[in-house]
Amino acid sequence: MKRPCVLFGLLIVEVALFTILSGHQFNSFSDLTHYFRTYFADLITQATPTLILGFGMTLVLMAGGIDLSVGSTVALISCVMSSFSPGGNFWFTAIPAGLAVAMSAGALNGLMIARLDVPPIIATLGTMIFYRGLCFVVMGDLEKSPFLEIPGYDFFGKFKGATCLLGIIFLFGGTYSARSVWRREILMIGGNRVAARFATIPVEARIWQIYILMGLLAFVAALAFTGRNGSLSASSLTGLELHVIVAVVLGGTKVQGGAGSLVGTFFGVLFIAVLDEGLRGAAIWGRQNLPFKISHIEYILLGLLLVGGVALNNYLSRKKLAE
Amino acid sequence: MTRGVRRRLAFLLAGNILLLLAIWLLLKQGSSFSDVLLRSAPDIAPVALAGFALTGIIFTGAIDLSIASALALAGTTFGSLVTHHLPPLPAFFGCLLSAWVIMTFNGFLVSRTSIPAIILTLAGLPFYRGLALILADVTVPNFSGNVSVVSEAYHLPGKQLAGLFLSLGAIAAVLFDGYSKQARLWLSLGNSPEACNLMGLNPKRIQFSAFVVGGIFFSLAVLVYVTRVQAIEPARMALGFELQVVAAVILGGTNIFGGEGSYLGTLLGAIFLYLVSQLLIYAGASAYLQDAITGAIILLIIGIDCALHRPAKLMEELA
Repeated sequence: MKRPCVLFGLLIVEVALFTILSGHQFNSFSDLTHYFRTYFADLITQATPTLILGFGMTLVLMAGGIDLSVGSTVALISCVMSSFSPGGNFWFTAIPAGLAVAMSAGALNGLMIARLDVPPIIATLGTMIFYRGLCFVVMGDLEKSPFLEIPGYDFFGKFKGATCLLGIIFLFGGTYSARSVWRREILMIGGNRVAARFATIPVEARIWQIYILMGLLAFVAALAFTGRNGSLSASSLTGLELHVIVAVVLGGTKVQGGAGSLVGTFFGVLFIAVLDEGLRGAAIWGRQNLPFKISHIEYILLGLLLVGGVALNNYLSRKKLAE
Repeated sequence: MTRGVRRRLAFLLAGNILLLLAIWLLLKQGSSFSDVLLRSAPDIAPVALAGFALTGIIFTGAIDLSIASALALAGTTFGSLVTHHLPPLPAFFGCLLSAWVIMTFNGFLVSRTSIPAIILTLAGLPFYRGLALILADVTVPNFSGNVSVVSEAYHLPGKQLAGLFLSLGAIAAVLFDGYSKQARLWLSLGNSPEACNLMGLNPKRIQFSAFVVGGIFFSLAVLVYVTRVQAIEPARMALGFELQVVAAVILGGTNIFGGEGSYLGTLLGAIFLYLVSQLLIYAGASAYLQDAITGAIILLIIGIDCALHRPAKLMEELA
């Protein structure tokens, strides 16, 4: 439980830093509390898709896999749903279609990785580009915004809806996975695949299940994303997968598999989301003080955090082993 | 060269000839077949040359996923040199050098740290892209998303000399594959790092040398790619390039887990992928559909290839 506490501390430091950089003035205490209340509500709704995907990615990494295609999958699901006409029928046509796309996208990843034995990173790099290509086939160059015209749909984009989705997934999913044999089997597959096979764990089936689950979570993330951001184009959400992976790694999940923590992921994602939002808020400060756009630093930080996080996790687990 | 690799070469040769035949049949009246062949060199050259770089690296069991971003960074270096009115030759040299340095740096990190190559170079993906954007912001005056290179002198390697670069690179690679000791050392490292170590070889140094030699091929690929386009866009340049290259290498019979493969196969694989995309154009598919179909074909190829290696891998696991 050390990792979440450290991350939480870092999160507070980060929020303070970016609040200063954004140049916000506070006149009274109630002003301050009001600012932070809206800030955190915004942060949670903004980070909901990443949090949901982070949940799935933790399981995927635990099993020794990786999924680079999540960003494209969410985009593809959203694109397919947006091609239906908005209206009352939307719930009975577009939602099942989106669900079907989500399941088949996950199943294709599962097929490549479990059945054909492609290294997960190569397989999902391929599907990442393939699904993005399909997005362009569905959407072309258009930018559509049908989601806000659908009655009741914006529920998913508001704070209440977002916390509902998160609560269901993290509380129920988290408690289930904490107590289940299923999670232990996944951890064992990630830790030592051959041993898992000898222990009569159905390795192939478990890997199928994980990637299909990832597809389903991508569908939920797509609901949260489209409920909040009305407009959508074929190149939406590029680079989302790296945010998710970096967040999960920072949360203490090992990329080699065999160890992971959902609580850590939760704080890891919030850490990245604050960074993302903060760099956007610091744009004015950056324009005055830096010779380049401050948002570009994010790419560099993502790279460094990924390497740093993996190195740290390796170091810690080696230290634990030595003890 | 193992039997599987030889079989793959024969398959690719036959496949390429069949594809050429199909394109010849689909050609409309008025366009000549030799034109089609001449135009192909600038398209094939970057994938094939970068493929040669990656072939050696995959021989050793490592991989470099950051090549597309590295290409963008080297391209941005070239673009900023051009905007500062450097004559073509020094600008080309700067481009070559920066590409080589990036790949060598990757090799240094991969061979010296215990982090898997795949994760390290995955982190390189956003890192080099960010560096490219910052470099463009800092060095190019009034940067607005792209650097356009107007003068024709700067496009010489990409447009006129691409065929020359490709054939020289291919000859060098095939000779290297056939006659050098280093290529075999890479293969042996990919087969078994432990055996390498026990034989008194230095796995780290062998791994590093694969990146250094790969960097030479890669820098040529970058030069051809960068000087072919009219405008250099750091944010969007060469997106998905790494997958094309990996697909060409795997299609060429190189085992993605290392220890098996050939440079000639990579060349034939790159040509095969190019011919497939051309066939789609002549068959009248729309631009978006082409991308999706090419992606599906790449997935199919990688999937089939890995499935073919599966029984051997399972036996190895259980042994």
